[in-house]
Amino acid sequence: MTLKALIDETACSAHGDCVAVAPGVFALEDTAVVIGEGSDELILAAAESCPALAITVIDADTGETVYP
Amino acid sequence: MSSDRGIVIAGGGLAAQRCAETLRRRGFDGRLTIVCGEPELPYDRPPLSKGVLAGTTGDGVHFRDAAWYEDNAVELLLGRRAEALDPGERCLTVDRGERLPYSELLIATGAAPRTLPQLAGFSNVHALRTLGDARALGSELGAGTRLTIVGAGFIGQEVAASALALGAEVTLLEALPLPLAGLLGEPVGRWLAGLHEEEGVRVKLDAQLTGARGNGRVEELTLGDGTAIGCDVVVAGVGVQPAAGWLAGSGIDPAAVLVDAAGRTAVPHVYAAGDVCRAFDTVRGVHTRTEHWDAASRQGTNVALAMLGDEPAPHVMPSFWSDQHGVRIQYVGHAEDADRHVIDGDPAQRDFTVLYSRGEIPVAGLAVGRPRELIAMRRLIEAARRGQPANEPAIEPTT
Repeated sequence: MTLKALIDETACSAHGDCVAVAPGVFALEDTAVVIGEGSDELILAAAESCPALAITVIDADTGETVYP
Repeated sequence: MSSDRGIVIAGGGLAAQRCAETLRRRGFDGRLTIVCGEPELPYDRPPLSKGVLAGTTGDGVHFRDAAWYEDNAVELLLGRRAEALDPGERCLTVDRGERLPYSELLIATGAAPRTLPQLAGFSNVHALRTLGDARALGSELGAGTRLTIVGAGFIGQEVAASALALGAEVTLLEALPLPLAGLLGEPVGRWLAGLHEEEGVRVKLDAQLTGARGNGRVEELTLGDGTAIGCDVVVAGVGVQPAAGWLAGSGIDPAAVLVDAAGRTAVPHVYAAGDVCRAFDTVRGVHTRTEHWDAASRQGTNVALAMLGDEPAPHVMPSFWSDQHGVRIQYVGHAEDADRHVIDGDPAQRDFTVLYSRGEIPVAGLAVGRPRELIAMRRLIEAARRGQPANEPAIEPTT
């Protein structure tokens, strides 16, 4: 399984926790943005760290939502 | 009900939800039960004092809908409370005497608001911890409602801002000379008090609550200096204590539910996570109770990993945030370890950072309206913890 993070820019309120958990995958501009790839565990941990619940994780192969 | 032993989670908040989700995601296919004290599907607490109270969030705070629990075979016992733990028999007793045998148990019963004896028995005195609390308080607030909040911690401050947005006349009482100055320093305490005053909150510092008068409902609060404050509604925001009384006699001290970095208590097969526990910080060498959203989230996930025999996720510095009057306040680290701090920016413009240090070592950071600088400070503090220079020290400590 290869996981991919999607950020809901309307929900993101720039807490920056995803950047703290996965600095190579996320960066903070006006909202968080995806800048790279990471392990499935790292992407899930970053998504779960989001207090705004703004990160959706999908299976890149099937498009199926893995989180939330 | 089958008597098969499964994983049982006592409590139904964030830590419980994270644990259950991680267990299922990682393939645990045994029985999984959440004993949730409230009659609600597990939900997210931070919006309660913000959007739920202000009426902007609605009720959309639940982590998952009912179908998710069904699809993932997570048995939810809603409105049921953990009452006793028998670690010898590996059994959790819930109310009505039902006994749930467990293979592994997570204690995640959270914390309960402290109460004030002066305010006992009045129907218009509210705490703000649960969705039920937020609904009850919200139904009493409107234009012109005279609201007095006892305690100017972050919850009290957020309630003040949300109530003001609803048109209430808000008085914020703080027993100390400044709010939160013990942790964040006097300049930040002064700034917080000033922020609320500028927005129209009546802030009373050094305010000792001595009594309450009224028939069924508080009509007037009296302070140590003789001041009387007329009120329609009162909120007590004087902190929380671990909801661990039910552990009495179990071998786990209700006054200090200590866990290691993976969330294990000293009792085999029993774990704890979230506000109820004091987790061991491997770097600082102490057990601390953080009461933060992010700590509950990580600890719940880590307990699931430990139950499955996996390594916990790497340590992350604790952090929290608060939204008041449209201002984002963020914090990372352990300011209680600091002996000095440096302010950068302009507090009057609600645009500044504070870097807290112990000697030359940065230990905590506060950012107001500057989320990107919080990330830079976090890197600096984490690098200092590891005893290495930060990769990108965007903020140099100056003393």
